[in-house]
Amino acid sequence: MARRTSNDPQAIANVLRLIPAKWLVGMLVAAVLYFFLQPKLNAWFGWNLPSIAAMAGNETPAKPASTKPAQPELASTKATEPKPAQPKAASTKPSGEPTKSTASSKTQQQDDLKYRILKPLGRDRYESPAGLIYAPGSEEGHRLSHIARHLEDQPDRPGSHGVFDGDMAAFLVAIDDAYKRARGHAKGTKSRLEDGMTIYEAPFDQTIGYLGGTEGARKKNPKLKKLRLVLRDRNLITAFPIQ
Amino acid sequence: MAKPFLIFVKQCPVCGDGLCRVRVCHDLQRGRLTGCILCDECETVWTDPTLKQKFLRGKVEGTPCCPDCGQSLWETNSHWADIPEVCLLGWYDSVQIVRKENRDQIV
Repeated sequence: MARRTSNDPQAIANVLRLIPAKWLVGMLVAAVLYFFLQPKLNAWFGWNLPSIAAMAGNETPAKPASTKPAQPELASTKATEPKPAQPKAASTKPSGEPTKSTASSKTQQQDDLKYRILKPLGRDRYESPAGLIYAPGSEEGHRLSHIARHLEDQPDRPGSHGVFDGDMAAFLVAIDDAYKRARGHAKGTKSRLEDGMTIYEAPFDQTIGYLGGTEGARKKNPKLKKLRLVLRDRNLITAFPIQ
Repeated sequence: MAKPFLIFVKQCPVCGDGLCRVRVCHDLQRGRLTGCILCDECETVWTDPTLKQKFLRGKVEGTPCCPDCGQSLWETNSHWADIPEVCLLGWYDSVQIVRKENRDQIV
């Protein structure tokens, strides 16, 4: 048995005879509008509207524009790891897509940021959105490496050792948040000057880490909700959660 | 090379998290060994284990400096003191010595 498809001209003609003329004009106008607006709507809103050609079965539907925000990995690893080759699919992309260049430039900007938020200033120096400078220095060679010590416990270390519960990117965001609030003398924050250094303390609503080191172990690693920052001008010397 | 001992005076009174440790600087030009106390967290420098006198001025900006030669205490001619050096400085009675389980944690 022969199967009738929607593309059968005889069937289409029969249907058209049943539809009033003004309806036909309206549908034609709608089709023309759709033809012009479809690529733009896809570009603006990231939709996946098929083109007229695709609906007619002559072309595959366009792939949706990626709505997932770019999540660049740590710059240190990114710099060394080659990006996987992306297969070109020119036929599936609408030509002249206005967001293509914008999206790629945004991704490029995020690629340039270390830990997603630090802007490179040159000579291995980085600036946070709040204006803190992370520069070479400390025993580890760089302030970022130094504060990374507070991302894990050192259970044998004498005394207390504040440990931040999260990754480096989250730690940097928390440091910026604490810095902004402490500079603005927000409620609960403290600041003092100590021979050229400024020491800020800022409380957080939620737990940000725990007390490590031998003292932390003795106290059964209590949770910490405050962050202490030690700065020299805008240069961060160290930062760690405190009780 | 990792050292099996951690030598420190006390927890840092400035930052509250660091340890005030004995740092020695070997001035090769003058053949002199200078000791000082350095917080391994906030990098405050004291001239001796009493922690009464801070050393604030050095030749290298933004880094802790040797109270004698003024050079950075993170340079290769400086290191954390070992027990013989602490004895040589006459500071043995002022420090606490902790033996570490994980020796790699002490550098």
